[in-house]
Amino acid sequence: MSKKDIKLEAQALNAYYGDFHALKNINIAMEEKNVTAFIGPSGCGKSTFLRTFNRMNDYIDGFRVEGQILLDGNNIYQKDVQVDELRKQVGMVFQKPNPFPKSIFENVVYGLKIQGIKNKAVLAEAAEKSLRQAALWDEVKDNLNKSALALSGGQQQRLCIARALAISPTVLLMDEPASALDPISTAKIEELIYELKNHYTIVIVTHNMQQAGRVSDQTAFFYMGELVEYAKTKTMFTSPKDNRTQNYITGRFG
Amino acid sequence: MTNSEKNRLKDKAFQVFGIFCTFIGLVVLAIFLFDIVIEGVKRIDWDFLTSLPSRRASRAGILTAWVGTLWILVLTTLIAFPLGVAAGVYLEEYGKKNRLSSFLEINIANLAGVPSIIYGLLGLEIFVRQMRLGGSLLAGALTLSLLILPIIIVTTREAIKSVPRSIRDGSFALGASKWQTVWFQVLPASFGGILTGIILALSRAVGEAAPLIVIGALAYVPFTPSSPMDEFTVLPIQIFNWTSRPQEAFLNNAAAAIIVLLIITFMLNGIAVYLRNRQQRKIKW
Amino acid sequence: MPHIDKELERLKVKLLEMWDLVEYQLQSGREAMLTSNTELAKLVIKRDKKVNQFDVKIDRMCENFFALFTPVAVDLRMVLAILKINANLERLGDTAEGIARFVKKLDAPMHPELLEKTQVVPMYEEALAMFAACRVAFTSNDTQLAKSIIKRDKALNKIYRKSDGIATEFMQQHPDQISEALALLSIIKKLERVGDQVTNIAEEIIFYREAKVVKHKQDKKKKKD
Repeated sequence: MSKKDIKLEAQALNAYYGDFHALKNINIAMEEKNVTAFIGPSGCGKSTFLRTFNRMNDYIDGFRVEGQILLDGNNIYQKDVQVDELRKQVGMVFQKPNPFPKSIFENVVYGLKIQGIKNKAVLAEAAEKSLRQAALWDEVKDNLNKSALALSGGQQQRLCIARALAISPTVLLMDEPASALDPISTAKIEELIYELKNHYTIVIVTHNMQQAGRVSDQTAFFYMGELVEYAKTKTMFTSPKDNRTQNYITGRFG
Repeated sequence: MTNSEKNRLKDKAFQVFGIFCTFIGLVVLAIFLFDIVIEGVKRIDWDFLTSLPSRRASRAGILTAWVGTLWILVLTTLIAFPLGVAAGVYLEEYGKKNRLSSFLEINIANLAGVPSIIYGLLGLEIFVRQMRLGGSLLAGALTLSLLILPIIIVTTREAIKSVPRSIRDGSFALGASKWQTVWFQVLPASFGGILTGIILALSRAVGEAAPLIVIGALAYVPFTPSSPMDEFTVLPIQIFNWTSRPQEAFLNNAAAAIIVLLIITFMLNGIAVYLRNRQQRKIKW
Repeated sequence: MPHIDKELERLKVKLLEMWDLVEYQLQSGREAMLTSNTELAKLVIKRDKKVNQFDVKIDRMCENFFALFTPVAVDLRMVLAILKINANLERLGDTAEGIARFVKKLDAPMHPELLEKTQVVPMYEEALAMFAACRVAFTSNDTQLAKSIIKRDKALNKIYRKSDGIATEFMQQHPDQISEALALLSIIKKLERVGDQVTNIAEEIIFYREAKVVKHKQDKKKKKD
């Protein structure tokens, strides 16, 4: 592996939904400014794992975690960690575009506003910067006060990315960000991910093998709550070590 | 006759029966409205709305009654709205899914089904006697608030539930607290639904006579109330009072007052429908 | 530029680097042959390892490209063409190495008369020219040029067919230089192979640009004749 710093790390991570053992002893380290793809069949725990990085599972009744998740070397499941502070560092984009039923501008600056930032100039600047980063600025700059719900699905998803970028995170979690979009919008999102990895550490869950191949540097294959294989994407896609990985990526499962 | 022919016949028969059932309610309502309007419309004029009650039917008006109703409406809203919405928000957003919460839920559902007269007795004991509010507007409004609280809680919860999980996730993921998420996202998005529920609850409260009679609202109040501690009457009580008189003229008065009461309820319902439609147009998840 | 295009560009650049190396090998082979420079010949033989490394590297890159990008249509044909051109270049490298091996065995310079009669020098020039033109056709996506290269191969074949007789005659006249003549004959045969390899590359260029299979067409025509 290259000499980049380790940004995210899971150590002996176990997760449970009540009695169900959802993640089994996961150990993984992800480098800074890299794209890591999580692949695996539905219910394999990849989304659950992704959500441990910003503690989105905390709201689920009966969910608990053992082990450590390290962000820049600090355990985010420590008692004194405030989740709102954590989430300023770890942004998230969801499967279905979920813009708030507000204007485009309000969507982008929401994260800043809840931090108490009221200065209009600051908000406007941040909005433009993140919309540009999300490759949406040119399409919406004249309609910032239009409802976000009037945008197309692909635009909505890029708006959600801009919204996440506005609070300047260092990590971006993406939970199947293109699975609800048409191929053109998907291609745009993928290009965007490729650009964004110059500045952010990105973890993406995807069901689309080609997508994992196109956008990611490393790929992790999960099966039944286990991390079966973690390797460079090229290595995994040309010569996977585990038979289960082979069967999954060649579409011969079960 | 083959089997499929039989089935088709059954289908037709049920269709006819269904239409009949649907129209029964409408027809009864139409007859009722027609009857009331015939009887009462000639009594409605400006004087009728602005006169105090009187022993003589031709001079009697409903000023104190509708002003009382208005007072009750406003006070009830002020009391029930924050209580009901806050309780709904707590149960839906904060309450853990444990035994206590299911106990609360069952009881709120039960409360919604309790006859209104029982609320009257409760109000009489607590507000009128224990809190020494007497037969005042405040006691009446508090009693009616109790009556509609379960409805408001349930509709608030339903409205909040209809806000998709993804909106909350989006807010939380940006570092928002639960309170910020509820205040900035969930409540604005569900406000139309909540308002609709409140208005429907109020339109029920407007029509209630029984609990108010129990707590001591009077049929004859020769002045319009000017503070929440004043004695009062409301339209349903006035109507009840007039219909129990033997004179024909008072029955006409009652019909006229019923028209006024119906207009108020229809208006409230109309506003509710309007708000709901607007909400549905504005937000498509 | 989309990600996939960047990766394709990288592949192309790598292939062209290999191309240049092979061209340099062929030119060096010619140089060594004309001047009987055995040192240069040894160098060419040694450098063939580098060509082979390119071959492995480009194979690997193509494999990764298929795995990661699952290309379709023009992208797919492009990578397929690169893969096959890569194989052809590798063989051209081997050919250059083969020529160098024959040169290495020579004790003295070639007899001028032999060179003159067999037309090996113009043949070598033509093969190199075709190879250079092929590179232009590849970089500029010029299928017309590629088609013209396929036709030029005939000239090489002609020289090759005549070389047997000329060599035999020469050997009868100069029995002391039989080994030289045989070596030259082998070189000519190698050059004829160069023509074929370049033709194959040109065919791949046409396939990638126009999605038309042109190879093996001529065989059919010949049968009709």
